[in-house]
Amino acid sequence: MQIRVKCNCGEGECREWAIIEVQGTVESQPSIEEHLHDHEIGRLCCISEGNYTFTIGYHELSGTKMRLKKPFLVLRKKNVETVGDSNSSVELHVVGIIRHRILFKTRPKALISSKNIAFYMFDEIPHKTTATELVHISCRAAD
Amino acid sequence: MLQVSTTWTHSSLLHSYDSHGGGRSLLEQGVRVSLAGAWLPEFENEKVTIRGQPDEDAVLCTLSSTYSMKFVGTSNSVFLIPPGDSSANGEKSSSVAASIITVATGNIELILAAPKLDKLKKLLKETPYNPDEDFDSISTHKKGLFRWQDLVEMIQASEEEIRAALKSLSAVEIDGYWRIVDDKTMNKTLTMILRNSLLHDWLISALDEETVLSTMVADGFSPRIVAHCLETHGTKVHDSKGTLWELGEKQVCLRLALDILASGKMKLKSFLERWEQSVPSGMKADLKMLQGEVLCDKIGVEEWIRVFSVSALPSTPADRFSALFQERLKWEWKDLEPYIRDIHVPGLSSEGLLMKYTRRIQPNAEAEPIFSAR
Repeated sequence: MQIRVKCNCGEGECREWAIIEVQGTVESQPSIEEHLHDHEIGRLCCISEGNYTFTIGYHELSGTKMRLKKPFLVLRKKNVETVGDSNSSVELHVVGIIRHRILFKTRPKALISSKNIAFYMFDEIPHKTTATELVHISCRAAD
Repeated sequence: MLQVSTTWTHSSLLHSYDSHGGGRSLLEQGVRVSLAGAWLPEFENEKVTIRGQPDEDAVLCTLSSTYSMKFVGTSNSVFLIPPGDSSANGEKSSSVAASIITVATGNIELILAAPKLDKLKKLLKETPYNPDEDFDSISTHKKGLFRWQDLVEMIQASEEEIRAALKSLSAVEIDGYWRIVDDKTMNKTLTMILRNSLLHDWLISALDEETVLSTMVADGFSPRIVAHCLETHGTKVHDSKGTLWELGEKQVCLRLALDILASGKMKLKSFLERWEQSVPSGMKADLKMLQGEVLCDKIGVEEWIRVFSVSALPSTPADRFSALFQERLKWEWKDLEPYIRDIHVPGLSSEGLLMKYTRRIQPNAEAEPIFSAR
């Protein structure tokens, strides 16, 4: 069997996507588990050419933008109904290309420590960063 | 943790989309694929396909190359961000929002690989063509018959690699199906062409296609097979008078030698006598022509010759070497070389290949190295 890989970008270049890569995981507070959509995770700032900070709650990560040795393609699966055939086949569509990533591989720096806000940081690597603060930020904004 | 095995089932590939993101409100899911930028244009021609049966490791094929696909997981959080809205760059101070649409759990890595062509050989050898076959009954069952489209679906290799393999197998398209013509038929056809050239004083270095075909058809041969026989054993030369064929010395001599040896091993001396007799005038038989096709063994004082054809051996290096060492425990380089020169592993030189699969013994610097199994 065959799965066709198609690119509909035509003559022009594929749209370029980006990767932000963080060591460990970002966790959301259980209360917003179901409503992740449209929540702000953090703020990405370019502090100098190629150097970035990524602030998640009270954690600040520093990282660098680097070129990928081999670019990545982002593919999307598509079910295609073939005429006169009851089983639909699958195609993969190229929706973007990724040439760079911003990698944050250092341990996060705590910006402020407050007893009121509960977040967890584990000592071992990969460490965990909670995004509990998000809720506070958005709550304050709502207030 | 997403488990995508390299063994390809229909769903495992899809899995990498579905299991990720946990069906939360993340908008879309994607999977990253790494690849060399050089062949991106081929995506536009819709010539890139993923091939494999459910029980095979999937490969990705461009028009000319085959890549193995391996899912590489990551413990990092990889956020995928699609191109943003460029209309938001009005004011400098305003911050722009970028949406993460998914977290990738890994990517599929593509590594240039050797095409998997053993299956092609096996499929075609199931039903070799012979002119007396009952084509109607075979074709109604469709068993053991393959069209180009079937082969592309079943063989894990690029189209160019499949075409090259068909050529090296001397396969021919008959009535829309790719077939290997059985040796007996080919021997009979070639012998008849040679006999006719003696009879009618044809030059075997310049056979007129039309004359050969009409004479052979009158003798009861199928024109398609005669043409295929000329193609397999000669080269086309265009002339003002029409299409001419020059029979190749090596191809003809090899065919005749294999025909003589078809009944089993022979004493080298008597084989050479018969072979030289059968070779048409103007051609000269030389044992070098039989490299990779026959083996000579010394049994007592006599030397014997027998068929041992490289084309009958598996093409993956590990299987090839194991088949070779099953045949003989020890190989001299001059004997071994014809049986491994067609193996090309991307990223591995022939020395590397020998190091990996053989043990080299060389008693002193002048002696011929001997290769045995590791």
